[in-house]
Amino acid sequence: MSIENMYNPNLEFFVDMQRCIGCKACEMACAECETNGHESMIHVNYVDRATTIQTTVQVCMHCEDPVCANVCPADAISKDEFGIVHTANTERCIGCSNCVQACPFGVPKKVEEYDLMMKCTMCYDRTSIGKKPMCATVCPSGALFFGTREEIAEMRPNSTPVNTFIFGEEIVNTKVNIMMPKGSNELRIY
Amino acid sequence: MAKLPVEVEKIIEQFGPSLNYPPKEGFPGRDEPDEVVKTHCCFCGMQCGIKLLVKNDKVVGFDPWMEFPFNEGRLCPKGVQRYLQNNHPDRLMDPIKSIPGKGFVTVSWEDAMSETVSEIKRIQNTYGNDAFAMLSGVSLTNEKSYLVGKFARVALKTKNLDYNGRLCMVSAGAGNKKAFGLDRGSNNYSDLEKAEVIIVAGANVSETFPTLTHWIWKARDRGAKLIVIDPRVIPLARTADLHLDVRPGTDSALYGAMLNYLVQHDMLDHDFIDNHTSGFEQTIESVKDYSLEWAEEVTGIDKEKIKLAAEWWGNANTSFLLHARGIEHHSKGVDNVLGCINLVLATGRIGKPYCGYATITGQGNGQGGREHGHKCDQLPGNRDIENPEHRKYIADVWGIKEEEMPGKGLSAYEIIEAIHRGEIKGLISICFNPLVSLPNSNYVREALEKLEYYVCIDFFLNETARHANIVLPGSLQEEEEGTTTSAEGRVIKINKAVNPPGNARTDTSIILELAERLGVKDKFTYENSEAIFNELRVASKGGTADYYGITYKRIVDEMGVFWPCPTEGHPGTPRLWEDRKFKTPDGKAHFNAVPYKLPGEITDEEYPVILTTGRVVSQYLSGTQTRRIGKLVNQYPEPLLEIHPDMASKFGIKQRELVKVSTRRGEAIFPANIVDTIRTDTVFIPYHWPGKKSANQLTPGTLDPISKIPEFKVSACKLEPLGEIAPASEMVKAYQST
Amino acid sequence: MVTILRTLNGKALLVAFAVTALLLALIFYGSRDLQNFDAALITYLFGTIFALFGVTYRYTVWIQRPPTWMYFKRGFQLFFNGRILYHFGFFLKKSVVNIGLQKFVYPRGKYRWLAHFLIAFGCMTAFAITLPLTFGWIHFTLAPGGIDIYEAHFFGFTVFNFKLGSLIAFMTFHALNWSSYMVIFGSLYFLRKRLTQPGLIATQNFESDLLPLILLIIISVTGLGLTYSYQFMKGFAFDFLAVLHAISVIIFLIWIPFGKFFHIIQRPAQIGAHIYREEGIKQGMAVCPHTGNQFDTQMHVNDLKEVTKELGFNFDKPDGTSHLDLSPEGKRSLLAKAHLEARLKGGNLFG
Repeated sequence: MSIENMYNPNLEFFVDMQRCIGCKACEMACAECETNGHESMIHVNYVDRATTIQTTVQVCMHCEDPVCANVCPADAISKDEFGIVHTANTERCIGCSNCVQACPFGVPKKVEEYDLMMKCTMCYDRTSIGKKPMCATVCPSGALFFGTREEIAEMRPNSTPVNTFIFGEEIVNTKVNIMMPKGSNELRIY
Repeated sequence: MAKLPVEVEKIIEQFGPSLNYPPKEGFPGRDEPDEVVKTHCCFCGMQCGIKLLVKNDKVVGFDPWMEFPFNEGRLCPKGVQRYLQNNHPDRLMDPIKSIPGKGFVTVSWEDAMSETVSEIKRIQNTYGNDAFAMLSGVSLTNEKSYLVGKFARVALKTKNLDYNGRLCMVSAGAGNKKAFGLDRGSNNYSDLEKAEVIIVAGANVSETFPTLTHWIWKARDRGAKLIVIDPRVIPLARTADLHLDVRPGTDSALYGAMLNYLVQHDMLDHDFIDNHTSGFEQTIESVKDYSLEWAEEVTGIDKEKIKLAAEWWGNANTSFLLHARGIEHHSKGVDNVLGCINLVLATGRIGKPYCGYATITGQGNGQGGREHGHKCDQLPGNRDIENPEHRKYIADVWGIKEEEMPGKGLSAYEIIEAIHRGEIKGLISICFNPLVSLPNSNYVREALEKLEYYVCIDFFLNETARHANIVLPGSLQEEEEGTTTSAEGRVIKINKAVNPPGNARTDTSIILELAERLGVKDKFTYENSEAIFNELRVASKGGTADYYGITYKRIVDEMGVFWPCPTEGHPGTPRLWEDRKFKTPDGKAHFNAVPYKLPGEITDEEYPVILTTGRVVSQYLSGTQTRRIGKLVNQYPEPLLEIHPDMASKFGIKQRELVKVSTRRGEAIFPANIVDTIRTDTVFIPYHWPGKKSANQLTPGTLDPISKIPEFKVSACKLEPLGEIAPASEMVKAYQST
Repeated sequence: MVTILRTLNGKALLVAFAVTALLLALIFYGSRDLQNFDAALITYLFGTIFALFGVTYRYTVWIQRPPTWMYFKRGFQLFFNGRILYHFGFFLKKSVVNIGLQKFVYPRGKYRWLAHFLIAFGCMTAFAITLPLTFGWIHFTLAPGGIDIYEAHFFGFTVFNFKLGSLIAFMTFHALNWSSYMVIFGSLYFLRKRLTQPGLIATQNFESDLLPLILLIIISVTGLGLTYSYQFMKGFAFDFLAVLHAISVIIFLIWIPFGKFFHIIQRPAQIGAHIYREEGIKQGMAVCPHTGNQFDTQMHVNDLKEVTKELGFNFDKPDGTSHLDLSPEGKRSLLAKAHLEARLKGGNLFG
């Protein structure tokens, strides 16, 4: 069925949490999408409020081999041909939280009252009709940017988008990029 | 006697604040709106463009307005949630009257209006015209601000009209007038883009003007150095190249020392100083003893950092200096502003591309609202109410005799003092919640209770309005067409999205009817908002804030027009002073000597800690609107006392322990939030909450002698831990605290 | 063909055959060696048998997946850990609340819940009536010696009787009609939503989201049509409706294992997840080393480390701990800290 899909694969998501000012405009805007039932799928949190005002912002990174989908006992999470990892299929999800705890980026969210996992789908309802995701549209700091590689290269010539993340023994490749110092190939967390 | 008619809890039960959340599946009709209205956010001075979705005469959602040049769709959390003020259960839909013992009861418009007018007449006949005062606010459009100014002078015939901008930008306005002869940010924000050095002084940009962050970050992407001057590590300061953690109340010492450093190292633009400024010699004389060591001692900032800041500023080719309430809310707010301007003038970096200076105006229409005559000393076009020529011009526009024009009245806080003294007996207010926003709130409450008659126009029953005899249900920003002027000086169009609900009416129609009933209908006949704007254009013509060339059509076609714009063919003025023709009497920019003075209150043995106040990102000013929006309240549910771990351990305060904070004016209890991100000698409390949760129970009524702004930013306080961990924030319901 | 056979799951095949065989035995026994069997329902019977085979096969394949098997295994261990009665009670309670009433749907919208409940209740009652009828487990006869007393038999035993034309008779004979109405109303609500809401339009696809609703509506409408055809329209189009009804029901049955309706079979696993969490809490919570707060049961954290390794993910850190020891907030914060460090090392946070 589905209307004509206008998803533009040239547009990519670029995150730079050092630009984040913790205002939570993205959280508010994300929740405005009625498919989210007014729950926010994006996370903004203080990194360690006692010592710093630093906040971080996290969207779903849309992994090439999503751990969340692998650990789902109910086959509720799937990845589509554009590489979007979709939120839990509501009729299948049993609310077990496997994905919540296994995601290395801490993205999926268990909504207790729905007994359901919900997560960011890169605003598929907007991106599939050629609009930008809500969070990246409203973000006042450029911590979240949605556009072409050329655009970001022009705006931030001293940074490189990176989509390889190393968590100890595990290397995770993602669709979403994080902006790093020029020439970086990866972000090592440990 | 304007006392509460019944217990406050009963009033809250009926009129809120209560929290509005959207339904889980969105408001019905959001997907197929009847109308998508391009307008602007109702909150801060950024006036971000936004589209409101309208269904069945209700605002049901928002959509980013990608084309508006300042924000290109970007918004802050308040902007995203602003649509929830519409369609709100607390909304006043009928005139209400305070009946002791019974509470507020609905009355007809006829009864409300006739009682109001007869009380105005009674008080003015008994005590004189000036015994009835008016307080206004700059969330109002230019049209309404202008109308209020005219209404007070022509219909009420009182000199005592002032506005809540008195708590906002008046220090900057006064400073700018002294230095430039004109009160407007000198540049639009796109001049930030290629500035080499940016100073942000006392402006928590990332929480109070989040969408301005974009322009600062854009400059930093090009390598700009950012210097943040603030007692706290605000989000902007965390990543700044230099953070000067100034001790509250000592800002002018810092600017003085920086200026002295520039002079000593000859990092000056002599050509500019010689040809386009005056007062340089006296000014540098006043700072000649301000060494880095002295400044370190006074401000508490490492002298190496001050030196670095002066060097960066001195050596820059392009620069932008921004400041806001952090340096303006002082008994020497004007001094602080002049200290900043001196740094700008000394380097001559103004009136050129990417060389800028501006105060960041706080309120939605803080800029436009302060230009068209609802200040106690001002007439439209930023004219002076004591200047005979100015009086004559406006008297002609208004069709009255110059002698009939009242003179200069009292400022906002002085009006409260005059009520206390029994000189002012009656009050009409619109768009102002002084019980939360003025300092020393206990004193303000006593004043309200002394009023013989108080009538309030508002869309919600805010904390102050609870003291009113009659409340007239007015309109939200999205319920009336008009214009505002953003902090950049850009005049923009506010479009009507919906009608006022129930029996609520537009503010304009209420004021016009009051004027008619006061017998001056002939002076207050307008077909629509545009007609008021067209009169404003004429009234501003030839003034410093000249709007004459701006029309509704131009605003829409050009996505805003920057004033001054004296003729319809004039392109508007995004960047001031390119012609070096300053609006001072001698046509030059003025240096002003700023000898360092102590703040109004200094710490001593009894009150050893500096208290400063400010805002959080999720709330706006006194919270009349934002304390009613559920998600914004949840984001920061109650005011916390920010305190450094060193000071916490000195007083034995634990995380989230309740702490009693006392000053000479009052005391209040807040949970402690122990963080490294504040000076060790200073504590911080945000001020948006009412009653026992109000930081303004503690702040002093010390006023700046020129701007009459109260000194919110410096108090001396003492701290007593209560040995009890605070209950969960959600339990406290600070948003409706009494 | 060979490759298909090779990809088939042996264990699951075995279980599916066994369960199907058991059903056949029960049909023989329950219909008293087919003497109570209604031959008109033979096509439905084959559909049902196939569906059962498919469902069992798919279910068995499903629970063999490492994360599912972990839950399945733990579920049984915990269920039989000495507090069987308590767990049985818990299971019953949750079955009523979660499976019967689908309470977890309610917070997402009351109309959504009502619609879902109507479909679920309608389907469940319809299954409860039609399956035993198809298997010949239920049949009705006139009581001997009268013409107005009906007897209902289950598994060959007489269960109850009622008078023709009584309220009970009306309710019993029309039970399927009531469920049809429920299913139709519920399905129409969702269909409307799916056709108008942009968010849903973007993410749904025809086979898995719209077709099931359409199928439910066709089944219910044709079912109702059969009743009204012989009651009010003298059998108008009866044969056509009967064929259409049979085809749609059979498609529905055969499709259960593969499509949206499999969630009906999966849903009880939710109760397992609840028991798992309840028991986990009793055994102790995991504390996030970054935030210092409890965030999950320690059992779950430990099991996930095992499951992720089985699936080929290794989140062990050089210091011997695991990235999975962190709460989601902790994980996000550590990523941000690592990013800050890398940015600072790069010399510039911006640009």
